[in-house]
Amino acid sequence: MKKIEAIIKPFKLDDVKEALSEIGIYGMTVTEVNGYGRQKGHKEIYRGAEYVVDFVPKIKVEIVVSDERSEEAVDTVRNAANSGKIGDGKIFVSNVEQAIRVRTNETGNEAL
Amino acid sequence: MNVDRIEAAILIKKKEQAIKDFLEGKKINLLKTLSSCLDEYFYTVFEKSIAARKMVVSGNAFAIIALGGYGRKEQCVHSDIDLLLLFDKSVPPEVEAFVQELLYPLWDARFEVGYAVRSIDECIDMAFERFDILTTVLDARFICGASLVYSSFMEKFRSQLSGKHLKKIFTYLFEHGEKRLKDFGDSTYLVAPDLKSGFGGLRDYHTLLWYAKLKSNIKSRRDLEYYGFLSNIEYASLEDSLAYIWDIRNRLHYITRRKCDTLHFEYQTEVASLLGYKNKAKQTDVELFLGELHAKMEFLKQINQITFEDILSSCRIKKESAVSRPTKTEGLIIKKKRLHFANTVVILQRPDLLLKIFLESGQSKIPLSIEARRIVSEFLHLVDEKVKIDPRCIKTFKQIIALSYWKFNVLNVMLSTGVLERFIPEFSAIVDKIQYNHYHLFPVDKHSIRCVQVINNFKESNDMGMDTLYSNVFKEVRNKNALLMAALLHDIGKSDPAKEHSKRGAKIAGPILDRLGFKATDKEDALFLIQNHLLLAKIATRRDIFDEETAVFTANKVGKIRLLRMLFLLTIADSKATGPKAWNDWTENLFKDLFLKTMGILKTGELASKKNQRLIDKKKKQVMTLLRENRQEEIVNHQLDKMSRRYLLYVTPQNIVDHINLYRNLGTRDFIWQITKGKDPNIRTISICGKDKPGFYSKIAGIFFLNNINIVASQAYSLGDIHILDIFKVMAPQDPLFEKEKWEKAEKDLIHALVDDHFLDKALEKIPDTLAVSSGNTPEPNQIRIDNETSSFFTIVEVITYDFPGLLFSITNALYRNGTNVNVAMVGGKVDQIMDIFYIKDVHDDQKIESKKRLTQIKTSILNSLPHIYSKEVINEKD
Repeated sequence: MKKIEAIIKPFKLDDVKEALSEIGIYGMTVTEVNGYGRQKGHKEIYRGAEYVVDFVPKIKVEIVVSDERSEEAVDTVRNAANSGKIGDGKIFVSNVEQAIRVRTNETGNEAL
Repeated sequence: MNVDRIEAAILIKKKEQAIKDFLEGKKINLLKTLSSCLDEYFYTVFEKSIAARKMVVSGNAFAIIALGGYGRKEQCVHSDIDLLLLFDKSVPPEVEAFVQELLYPLWDARFEVGYAVRSIDECIDMAFERFDILTTVLDARFICGASLVYSSFMEKFRSQLSGKHLKKIFTYLFEHGEKRLKDFGDSTYLVAPDLKSGFGGLRDYHTLLWYAKLKSNIKSRRDLEYYGFLSNIEYASLEDSLAYIWDIRNRLHYITRRKCDTLHFEYQTEVASLLGYKNKAKQTDVELFLGELHAKMEFLKQINQITFEDILSSCRIKKESAVSRPTKTEGLIIKKKRLHFANTVVILQRPDLLLKIFLESGQSKIPLSIEARRIVSEFLHLVDEKVKIDPRCIKTFKQIIALSYWKFNVLNVMLSTGVLERFIPEFSAIVDKIQYNHYHLFPVDKHSIRCVQVINNFKESNDMGMDTLYSNVFKEVRNKNALLMAALLHDIGKSDPAKEHSKRGAKIAGPILDRLGFKATDKEDALFLIQNHLLLAKIATRRDIFDEETAVFTANKVGKIRLLRMLFLLTIADSKATGPKAWNDWTENLFKDLFLKTMGILKTGELASKKNQRLIDKKKKQVMTLLRENRQEEIVNHQLDKMSRRYLLYVTPQNIVDHINLYRNLGTRDFIWQITKGKDPNIRTISICGKDKPGFYSKIAGIFFLNNINIVASQAYSLGDIHILDIFKVMAPQDPLFEKEKWEKAEKDLIHALVDDHFLDKALEKIPDTLAVSSGNTPEPNQIRIDNETSSFFTIVEVITYDFPGLLFSITNALYRNGTNVNVAMVGGKVDQIMDIFYIKDVHDDQKIESKKRLTQIKTSILNSLPHIYSKEVINEKD
């Protein structure tokens, strides 16, 4: 099993969700996260006063899929989150040792 | 032992029957029935018990006493059963055998029974030591056994409840209540209300009952009215609320099969369907149900306030004089730190006092007395049509909404007494209106009032940093009343969930604002705010706020700086007043960022002014005519909408048409261009469409320089969708015979340059070190200005120098080598000294450059790339 973590721009969430559900992946964990880029926040000026916006709001989408589906899922997320622009985000894929469904005690792919 | 098992079986059967009857909707008092079933169990077991008989015979008379809820005969389906075995003097060892007979069968049957075995003295000592025990004793009820033991205990207990004790107990009740408010008053509990301990739960009623029992030794709930703790109407409401909450509690116990008093989110639907809510309106059953529950709990909260006011006045501020002092409003007085009406007759003559009292309260921060609240509620009918349009009353109302703060919320009192609904009848439709989800924590009416509070709180911001933004923006809002009214009414359209509430809200709000005498512009503003109160939140979460077009779009939608300020504050207040899911650092950052960026666009005016909008609209039409593609209008319009506004504003319709055609033919190529001859035979226009790559613009300028093509002017735009559209105006090649070949060579060079990053290095060497200008006066030195304030999206670089072949290449190459991308360029124009403007962003993160060090670097390397300027005349003299 693979865990796919995608950090994307907030406004791309709906596209990613929709694309994933189109290939039959409905379950996912979505978190509002803060991205800290190489620049220490950006400044905005209002009436001569500087306001520093410390971080860039991003969305983290996590899904766990079987090994066979991993590539398809990554491609789907990538295509949906892609606007061709810088800052579209990153996708991380990692191995998952085990998954257990709490209610039924099913394990592995069965539990996904 | 067997006897008791039989008794327990009978008890269980009776209980099950009672629950069945209750669920089937038969008219029974379940609480009383359950209590009686238990009573009967205890009678029988006691009567038949040999152990009990032995104790009585040996002179150890005792009584079985019910405590707590069971004592009050308010036994719910799975409530605890609190029992006290009370002995006259000492507790005999035989009691253990009796407890086994009495309670084991119950425990085996999974009843939650708590019991205590004590002598009278022990019990009294403990009660005064621990007030939580004392409160259960207050509810003590004799079941069976020696009634003398019970009565002498109660007598003794009563006699010890002297003033000294009483004050301590009142303080305990008060502090206990404050703690509850702290633990349960938190908004998160509103999603899953605790029917017993929560704010507005049964405990509020218990507290009043205990207080009344302590103070006036009342016997039952009914006495609350007889002894003047509650008015007749209040008592009726109490009965009504209690019946409703108990009903729900019993069903909740039944569903969960245990003593569960928290109405968790997942049970709410089931309880609603058990209660038989039928979808009468368009609202869902569960929302109807929660709305009703909320109203009942709200009443218990008021009971709680009444109790605590009373407790306070009887123990804390006794020393203060009860003498009243006048207020600046005639007809209102202050007594014991509370606002009162001087007398009730005066209200009949001056119904405006029913509003004035709230203004006085808000201004002086002195709450209304309970009595005053009661009077307001009873005289509501005086707030009639005349009052609603009385200019003085309207003025008072407008003053009141500006006085509602977190810590002192007059509007809430206005709502709970019913005045708000009388004054703005339209508000009734959203009172106790529940939205069933994790997101909205408050009923719509409370949420709206909270929204007003948040805005008023912007007045006083002592916070450092970003939070000063709110207070700064608030200070700039000229008509705060329009904003506050919009906040109060922004969700008024939610009364009908089937319709889009923003638009509907504006429709409902119009007549209200007219009635309240808002002048046309303020009314328009308020209606705009109501209709668009979700705009900023939607854009911030659904569009890329780092794209200039998003801010431009927002700026165009809002149109005016004044409205943007108000809309921003309303958005923040709306989110803050909704709950933690809607308001956190993350959303706050998004909203602020969008606001500041949009404000930047509106202030500059360039891309969002009405005049320019008209210009763009006109241009779009011209493009359409030039394209002659009526049938594809929709597609073209869509394409035009995707282009940046700056592009649409500054590029001629013919160039736009050229670009559209190029774009359609681009295919997989990196770029495609078109060379046209204009009216001037010496000028060629080159339109280019390509796929954006860092350094693209610099490379085009480079190959023109390499091929001795002189650039007269140029514009560059990089579009949101990774394409670039550039226009170059150049001098025609001097040799007209081989012009075509020349362009072909240049095109080949550009293909090379895009692949080989060092292809143009040789051209760079040809840029002169010095430049002589034939200016009459001393020539101006090269100037580089960097403007990092005008735009939220770009660093703007202005270069002022003298023209020479290769100028554009040397500047853009310096920008490219410094890791920046030219997103917009406007180059050329003047004959003599020229000013070129570049909007640049960092290549890696696509944002403007913030670091001062880098800005200096960029400036220096542009300066270094330009030739030294000197005057021709000076050289001539030297020669």
